[in-house]
Amino acid sequence: MTANSNNRSPAEQAMWLVTVALAAWIIPGAGHYLLRERKRGIIIFVVITALFITGLYVGSIGAVDWVTGRIWFYAQILYSPAVGIIANVTKHGGYPVYGRPCDIGQIYTGIAGLLNLLCVLSAVYMAYCGRGEMIGQEEESNA
Amino acid sequence: MLDSFFILASFTAPIEIGTNAVSMLWMFPLLAAVSLVYKATKMRVLLTRRYLLESLLLFLSVSGFMIMAIIVLNLLSWLITS
Repeated sequence: MTANSNNRSPAEQAMWLVTVALAAWIIPGAGHYLLRERKRGIIIFVVITALFITGLYVGSIGAVDWVTGRIWFYAQILYSPAVGIIANVTKHGGYPVYGRPCDIGQIYTGIAGLLNLLCVLSAVYMAYCGRGEMIGQEEESNA
Repeated sequence: MLDSFFILASFTAPIEIGTNAVSMLWMFPLLAAVSLVYKATKMRVLLTRRYLLESLLLFLSVSGFMIMAIIVLNLLSWLITS
């Protein structure tokens, strides 16, 4: 999976970029991990997941609500497609969510999603430039 | 098994946070996360010591700016209302 990007045909390169983007969206940090940027991938996964889980803990899973908080949901779903499952559970409004905890929960989960978008773009850019393999080797030799 | 249910149950109700100045402290974990992720994507080579130092500097500078903004906005509201 980590063959040099210069050896790929344009179709293979496009498929590779889509694979990296999907991996980075489905599991935060997985895109960088595929590019042999393991340290970067682990940091991204731990920090963004901790942020998202803290948001859910503070505001309850009711903070993810695509019926009454649709704009927030667009940011939250960028964390992972798994957020759609949470939204499906909470769509009937059975979970209490109110006041400042709701604000903080939505902000934390929304920012986690937007940070993951930044990481998806970063991973795709690295895959496009073929930077991942090169820097991954450089980091491993300096670690 | 029972512990797992308690942990899952804690995600079904919000925690207590008052609408006071102390609740502003919740911005610091967020700023720390933004600093760590931003530097993880931005730095060309991720050397642990340098990465932590740059993340800390970014966190401190953004926190400093936020605190200054809070002070200025509070001063403005005090001047307008007094």
